[in-house]
Amino acid sequence: MSAAEGPTDKGVRIRGVAKRYGSTVALDGIDLDLVPGEVLGIAGPNGAGKSTLMRIIAGEEKPDSGTLTLDGVPWFPSVNWHNVAVVHQEPQLFPNLTVADNVMVGREGTRSGKPRLSAADGEVMKALGIARYAGVLLEDCTLATAQRTEIARAVARQARVFLFDEPNSALTEEESDELFREMKKLAGEGRIVLLVTHRLGDLVAHAKRVAVIRDGKVRAMLEGSGLTEDAIAQQLVVDSGAEAAAKGAGGAHAGKSTVAEVSGWSHGAAFRDISFSARPGEIIALMGVEGSGAREFLRSLAGLERCSGTIRVAEERGEAAQLLTAYVPATRVESLYSNFSVGENLLVRLGRPDIAGVALALKKRRMKELAAEAVQRFLVKTRTTTQLIRSLSGGNQQKVAIAQALNCSPRLLLLEEPTRGVDIRSKREIYRLLRDYAEEGNAVLMFCTEVLEVYEAADRVHVVSEGRLSPAIDVHGYDQVEKLATDITRLESHAGVAA
Amino acid sequence: MSNVETAPKQAGAAANAGIDLALRMGGLLLAIIVVAGVFIAINPNLANLNMGASLLRSMSSVAIMALGLTLVIVVGEIDLSFGATYGLAVNALAVMWLFGGIPVYLAIILAVLVGTAVGLFNGLLVTRLNIPSFIVTLGSYNLLYGISLWVSNTATFNPAYPPPDVTIPDAELDFFVGLTQSFGSFGLSLEVVWMFGIALVVAFLLHRSLFGFRLMAIGGNTRAAELARLPVKRYKILAFTLCGTLAAVAGILDFSFIQTSQPNTGLSFTFPVFAAVIIGGASLSGGKGTVIGTLGGALLLAILQLGLSILSPGPHVQQIFLGAVTIGAVALDLLLTSIRKRRAA
Repeated sequence: MSAAEGPTDKGVRIRGVAKRYGSTVALDGIDLDLVPGEVLGIAGPNGAGKSTLMRIIAGEEKPDSGTLTLDGVPWFPSVNWHNVAVVHQEPQLFPNLTVADNVMVGREGTRSGKPRLSAADGEVMKALGIARYAGVLLEDCTLATAQRTEIARAVARQARVFLFDEPNSALTEEESDELFREMKKLAGEGRIVLLVTHRLGDLVAHAKRVAVIRDGKVRAMLEGSGLTEDAIAQQLVVDSGAEAAAKGAGGAHAGKSTVAEVSGWSHGAAFRDISFSARPGEIIALMGVEGSGAREFLRSLAGLERCSGTIRVAEERGEAAQLLTAYVPATRVESLYSNFSVGENLLVRLGRPDIAGVALALKKRRMKELAAEAVQRFLVKTRTTTQLIRSLSGGNQQKVAIAQALNCSPRLLLLEEPTRGVDIRSKREIYRLLRDYAEEGNAVLMFCTEVLEVYEAADRVHVVSEGRLSPAIDVHGYDQVEKLATDITRLESHAGVAA
Repeated sequence: MSNVETAPKQAGAAANAGIDLALRMGGLLLAIIVVAGVFIAINPNLANLNMGASLLRSMSSVAIMALGLTLVIVVGEIDLSFGATYGLAVNALAVMWLFGGIPVYLAIILAVLVGTAVGLFNGLLVTRLNIPSFIVTLGSYNLLYGISLWVSNTATFNPAYPPPDVTIPDAELDFFVGLTQSFGSFGLSLEVVWMFGIALVVAFLLHRSLFGFRLMAIGGNTRAAELARLPVKRYKILAFTLCGTLAAVAGILDFSFIQTSQPNTGLSFTFPVFAAVIIGGASLSGGKGTVIGTLGGALLLAILQLGLSILSPGPHVQQIFLGAVTIGAVALDLLLTSIRKRRAA
């Protein structure tokens, strides 16, 4: 490639950068050129080394070996961090300050007076369309404005390299479009722009080149006509051995009696009078926009929301029935224990008699065996069961979070966004785990935000809208995800109308 | 893919775990050896078994309270009221026994129950009303001190010198004093035996029982524990209750040993007990803490206090050292932790 030795030394050159955490190799000698003026996409499964590379470029982490140069000059991001700006999924700003203060913070100068916005800063804010929010507290702004503030902050300190880390995962479509326009503008002005995202469509639409990172190396550089969603997806799952879709027989247990049933199920505020049942072997998806009551409905089945009505799971009713469910929250912050090892995280929901006996004494040996079994069964990629949970990659942490719930043998498993922020490979493995679990005669109910997930993993889907549950849509009746998406969208606005 | 440790790896892991444990406990152990060594170098006469016995006695009440506080800190809460609980138990015992005519055996049980009740009160307010434990226990600290002043009528008590119109049966007095009687040729107090007995029980609870496992989980991530339907509130209440109970036990044992009480007795323990727990490696953010660490912390403080009071360089030195060692021990611990992490990496 000409960029390596061509006329310009411009940009960042990464050569042989390696990083290990214990015996885990995060980066295995990365070579990558970041050229000014283009948006470079980065794709890779979780645990592939993507986030380590980002942390190294952002100066939050030092490489074990390898070199970085900026415009031909050796560059140490951990010292010259102000060259780099990271725009996070959730902006790292000061919610208690105004937008203008946020742009200035760190460059207020040393005068004792209250710092004032310089003309240059004002221009930057105007260019990004946030000048009119200058005096508004950041906590009162939308996420999109906060992200723009983060960008403005970086532009104002004349950063050269912009890292966008899953920047639009919580934005509306219009907001994302504007963000991508802004990204291209930054690139157009000669800055280096990196885009890390799980959304393959965004990479194809907005990046000039896409580097696919797998197992700590750049495995493919896609550009031009070779840059398609299918091509990226293929590169991501090569050698994964998990390509078999998790699509189940879906109805293998059909005709048998239900494993879980609610009727007249009402919540004070979120939903009312819902009737719902699940047969053994079924994976049922639940969709609904924020505030529709879908998440509350899911949690209520586990007894985490106060509800009235009748509930039955297996042979139990009422609270006893709710004890036969297990709930997995949407974020791992709410399911994993950072002070615990992988093994302890897997067993934490168990009690007597599984891991404790007389006088609540822990059965240490039994716990070791159970943890080892769980690691095998749930395909958790870990060296030992005694290492800290934080040493695992995101996808594997998510498997632990789900395994933790499955370990207490619920008859009805309740999940919120089971594969949020998880790479394709782990996603498939998780779907397979759920399918296997359902086939053992249990039911799975999961709240999803992406139709693709419903299409790939569920047997049927219900949409919750304004506290009402729609009739089921049979996912197997669709041969295209687009059609399913259309029907779901229609239900999201008019629940209760027959599909 | 999913590999679990194999046999040869396990042997190496065991050796590694040994070094890890040494590094984890090493900072504290090193601090104890250095501090004790300095005192002995200054005054070699300090190195004798009688001194050892009195050292262990002087750490025991701090250690007993610190063990209770460790439970509360592991579950992610804080208790500022144990010193006042200690004082209330002592004063309640003295008043019930010396003025109320209640036999000492029953009075002791009631005084321990006072501590239990205080812990229950703290725990209920924290979990049912969702008031931060710092505020609840800051409040109960003052509340309990007030009650102590009230029931004691700001008097001091000594069972050997009961009020004029009261006679205390010798058997009761002997029993009470016998709780912390010294025995053996070095004059080791029974209070030390109580301390080790309680430490064993708390060690079992914290490190070998489901109760401790869940305390660690709740302290590590309260929200996750709630969503997993672990009995978060019940366990928090239990931790506070045990802390209050142990504070009362410590007070009664000290009263038996010292045999005099003050209206404000116990309050001055607040700082050293906290220091012992923190020096022992417990994290104020919860989910971390050990019995052996807490005992080590209490021992280090006792060495300092005893050594400095014998060398008597002046009260200012004692205070300055206490402060410096608290910070120093934690700094050393952080340093060794980072070495341990680097080794693991």
